[in-house]
Amino acid sequence: MFCLPKNPATRRYLYRFLTTMMFYVVFLVGAVWAFPRYHPTGALAYLLAILPALPIIGGIVVVGLYLAEEKDEFQRALLVQAMIWGIGATLSLTTAWGFLEVFQLVPHIELYLVFPLFCVLTGFASGVLKARYR
Amino acid sequence: MKNRLRVLRAEREWSQADLAERLEVSRQSVNAIETGKYDPSLPLAFRLGKLFGIAIEDIFQDEQ
Repeated sequence: MFCLPKNPATRRYLYRFLTTMMFYVVFLVGAVWAFPRYHPTGALAYLLAILPALPIIGGIVVVGLYLAEEKDEFQRALLVQAMIWGIGATLSLTTAWGFLEVFQLVPHIELYLVFPLFCVLTGFASGVLKARYR
Repeated sequence: MKNRLRVLRAEREWSQADLAERLEVSRQSVNAIETGKYDPSLPLAFRLGKLFGIAIEDIFQDEQ
């Protein structure tokens, strides 16, 4: 049985985040489906192409809202620390990869993969920090 | 920072979860403060003081 978190800030975060992810799937599938069929041009092409990015940006806003609404300062500090580790690791890895790419030693990686990479690294950092504070 | 939270809790027979509920924070937060791994902000320290009915310096001691 799916258990809802007791903390209202966490609960709101979960609802909002799931909503943005739902929009992400719809927009992504929509863009991938429409592009090869309708060959949009000009502003419409830009709009359609950027559509899947908007819920991801929304997801970042949702994390910001959680930080603003979470009353437990320790939980806030944990997330902020995890995100700082996530940012540091993501920037380090992508910068190193960028130079490897310049010298054609590794294949090109699409920029939209940077955000999921940040999420994974932040999640990992969060796990390590939680274990440290236990 | 050293603190007397464990003793103060024991005197009242409160678990970490009991204290967490009274402070409106998570049990993990109480544990992190109690074990000295996390120093609370001044507002949270004052809330602790008010809850136990004592001054902040009777809960937290500077280790230096």
